[in-house]
Order: sequence, then C-alpha cells, then structure tokens
Amino acid sequence: MRVVAYLVREAFSNIRINRTTTLIAVATTAFTLACFGVFLLLYLNLRGVISSLQDDIQVVLYLDDGLPAQQVSDLQQRLKTEPGIASLAYVSKDQAVADFRAQFPSEAHLLQGLGENPLPASFVVTLGPRFRSSESIKRLADRMKDIPGVAQIQYSREWVENLATVIGYVELAAIAVGAILSAASVTIIASIIRLTLYARRDEIEIMHLIGATGAFIRIPYLLEGAVLGALGGLLSLALLRGGFEFFKLQLGAPGRLLGISSGFSFFPDHISLLMVLVGLLLGFTGSGVSLLRFGRAKA
Amino acid sequence: MIQLFHVSKYYDRRPALSDVNLQIAKGEFVLLMGPSGAGKTTLLKLLFCAESPDQGQILVQNRNVARLRRSDVPYLRRSMGMVFQDFRLLPKKNVFENVALPLVVQGASAFETKRKVTEALKAVGVEHRKDSRPTTLSAGEQQRVSIARAIVNGPIILLADEPTGNLDPELAGEIIELFKAINARGTTVMVATHNRQVADQVSRRVVTLNQGKLVSDEGVGQ
Ligand SMILES: Nc1ncnc2c1ncn2[C@@H]1O[C@H](COP(=O)(O)OP(=O)(O)OP(=O)(O)O)[C@@H](O)[C@H]1O
Ligand SMILES: [Mg+2]
Repeated sequence: MRVVAYLVREAFSNIRINRTTTLIAVATTAFTLACFGVFLLLYLNLRGVISSLQDDIQVVLYLDDGLPAQQVSDLQQRLKTEPGIASLAYVSKDQAVADFRAQFPSEAHLLQGLGENPLPASFVVTLGPRFRSSESIKRLADRMKDIPGVAQIQYSREWVENLATVIGYVELAAIAVGAILSAASVTIIASIIRLTLYARRDEIEIMHLIGATGAFIRIPYLLEGAVLGALGGLLSLALLRGGFEFFKLQLGAPGRLLGISSGFSFFPDHISLLMVLVGLLLGFTGSGVSLLRFGRAKA
Repeated sequence: MIQLFHVSKYYDRRPALSDVNLQIAKGEFVLLMGPSGAGKTTLLKLLFCAESPDQGQILVQNRNVARLRRSDVPYLRRSMGMVFQDFRLLPKKNVFENVALPLVVQGASAFETKRKVTEALKAVGVEHRKDSRPTTLSAGEQQRVSIARAIVNGPIILLADEPTGNLDPELAGEIIELFKAINARGTTVMVATHNRQVADQVSRRVVTLNQGKLVSDEGVGQ
C-alpha cells in the first residue's frame, strides 16, 4: 500500500516538475486524438444518417392492370408471409392518382388528357432492418418478380449500393488515419519519456544500486505516460466538442445537410470514455517503448 | 562470506582484472589498494553485480553472483550497502527520504522506516539535518548521509569505493572511524582506496592490486 502511494506520488511529482514537456505531450496527444476524433465523428454520424435513410428504403410491386380483387388479396396474404417484409401497403389505382395529384399539382392536367386512369395499382413494401442490404433486396426482388399478377418491381438499387460504398470508404479512412495518428502519439510520448529517463539516468542508476527492482523503477514512468495520454484524450474531447458546436452553428441547427433531417450528434458517453482510454493506452505504450529502449541501451 | 576464484574481467580485450583469487571472512575489514587503474572499482562492481566476470566464479554469501539472474540482482543488493566517492544522493529528496529509499523499495512500513532511518542518521551523526536537501550539506555531511543509507537496512556487507576521495584528511579520518564502528558491530567492510593515510588509520588486512593482478595480501597491525 505504501509502495503504491510512493509510486503514484513519484509519477505526479515528475509531471509537476517537467511542466513544459508535460504540456507538449498532452497537447500533441490531444491534437492527434482530435484528428482521429473528427473522422470518428464523421463516420458515426454518417452511419446514423445512412441507417435513417435505409429506413426509407422501399420496394414497390406494380400489379397487372385489372387484376381481380380476389387475386389482389391472395397476393397480399402471400406477401405477408415473406420473412423480409416488415410492412405492406396497398395502393389502389384511384389512390395512385390521388397521390400523383398531391405530389405534382402542376402536372395534374397530364392525367386528364388520358381519360382512363393509366396508373397501376401497387404494393409498397417496407423491409425489415436485416433485409436492407443491396444483396437481400435484390434476392427478394428476384423471387417476387415471377409471382403471377406482379407486373414490375421497382427499387433504387444503385442508391443503396452507393451508400454502402461511401460508408466503406469512410471506415477505411478512419482506420488508416487512426493507425497513423496512434503511431504518431506513441512516438511522441515515447520520446518525451525518453528525455525524462535521460535527464534522470543518474537517479535511475542510484535506485538500481539501492536494490530497487526494475518494476519499481519503471512503474512511475508508465503511470506518467498513462496520465499524460489520458489528459491528452480529455483535451481532445474538449477540442472536438468545441469544434462540433461551432460546426453545428455554421450549418444552422438542426443540421440540415443534403436534405438529411436527423440532427448531428456528438459521441455517446461510452465512445467519449473510449477516447480517454485510448489516450491512456497510447501514453502507457509510449512509456513502455522508451523504457524498453532505455533498458536495452543500458545492458 | 566473499570468495573469488580465478576471476578475470576484460574491457575491450584489455584485462581490468586477471586471475584474482580472494577469500574474505565474515566480520573482516579489508582495504583494497593499488594505483589508479589497478582494478579496484572493477572488483567492487563484480561484487554488487554491476558487471559480470568473463572468467572465474564469485560467491557472495554462498551465492554464485557470476550466474545471478538479472531479476535477482536487486535482492542481492538489499543485503549490501554501497558507498561511493561522489555520494550518489538524490538531489530532489531530503536527507530523510534519501536514507529511507532502500526501505521504501522493499515496502517497509512507515513506522519501521522512521525508526531505522532515525537510528542510521544518529549512527553517522547527521540526524539534525534530516529535513535538508543533500545539496545544502557539506561534502563530509553528504558522505555521512550516504553511509546512513548504506547501513539503514542492516547489511551483511558494506562496500565503499574511494569513500574519502572528495574529503580533506580530517573529514576522511572521521569517515574511516565510522566504517570501523560499523565493522565493530559485525558488518563485513571492504573499502577501495589509494590513500595510504587510510591504510595507516585502519591497520587491518590490505589487499593490493596492480594492473588487474592481486600482488599482495597482508594483515597490518591487528
Ligand atoms: N567501462 C569501462 N570500459 C572500458 N574500460 C574500463 C571500464 N571500466 C574500467 N575500465 C578500465 O579497467 C581498468 C581498471 O579500472 P578500475 O576503474 O577498476 O580502476 P581503479 O583501480 O578503480 O582506478 P581508480 O583508482 O582510478 O579508481 C582501467 O584500465 C580502466 O581504464
Ligand atoms: Mg576506482
């Protein structure tokens, strides 16, 4: 217990004594983590947007003109048993005309010239959450197009596929940027701890001489690295939050970008905590790296 | 207590020690003498495992330190006290904390630490400076503090490398008296020095090295 207290006190007195280097370490870690955080924010929000867009994914089954009512209701029964279909709405020919009028009032005269109602009846199908990928939509469509009474199936395939591609790229970019920046902050913390180790090499030697174990000597430096990293993580959250609020203000709340109505959101708490933990881990690793090198140089 | 069998140590193929044989019994006071570069420091370093021999065997308290695992070195050092010419005190800690360090690294209780540190400081006569930083102390006082640190743990062996090298003759004499007192309480003491005055004052066993070879081993006085 006393040993633990001693080691913790050593780490914090180190941090206090080397104020400038501490500041540099925290600032650089914060900056690198913030860069990564921007990507993470972008990614998480984009994913949120995409899943809300995917809620709107609908497949429309146009029916043969003049299909008898009995067959329509048979078809409806049949579709209800399909596993991927979450909900089903029947749009009659009359309803289709009404919808068209409501949606395009200025084009309503087009229908008048045609006399008989040219719009087919249809089923509008909303898919269950697990069936919204482009492959499963395609599979469903292929199965249904051969059902008697179904004239045509319409769904926006490219749109769905583009979304998946975009999210894939963002994911890749986030991973790459994250890896590079993590390496950068490990290196920075490693060199800062190395400077400390170098400055204190006489003290370290004395500690060895009086019978301190390697662990006893190393732990304060590992703690120091971890604390610096965690502080960097906290600062990066503050930076991100500030930047995020500024960005939201610029966009005008609630962030309407590309006609997306869902507001942008900051990290949920568990991701914020994760950022701090990542900072802590980076600091710890940086410290460990320089201790390893220092130990090897001494041997 | 300490036994060296055909010990050789080379630096860049030049022997710092060659074929040294030496036996030291418990409770002895041994002076290690010889001109500069004779290998005195090297021999002490072998004993506290700062270096390892290229040939030969070294037994300290019947443990073969030539084959000690690195992770066991700290535990060996806890049974020894070490004193150096340049004191090697931690400048950012006060006298009490410096002397307490060998106990702290072993996880001794606060009560035990206070008792032993006070006792050690009393033994060397610097108890009144316990709250001072080492840098504010005179050279003689600093060496006393480093001796207090060396004995705080009740070591079986005390090794000192030129402990009087930075001190004027009078202070040197006082420090040697301290070593004699420590020895009188049963600790085996080994002091490396090229100071003849020290040898005259101690008048015990003198081991002389020259160019890495043990050239004489004689009892003086007794
Ligand atoms: N780390 C080292 N690297 C290379 N050579 C060394 C090293 N340490 C000691 N030596 C050499 O080994 C020889 C013995 O050195 P040592 O320090 O043991 O002598 P010493 O008897 O303690 O001398 P002094 O009285 O000057 O302290 C010397 O020739 C020295 O140059
Ligand atoms: Mg020497």
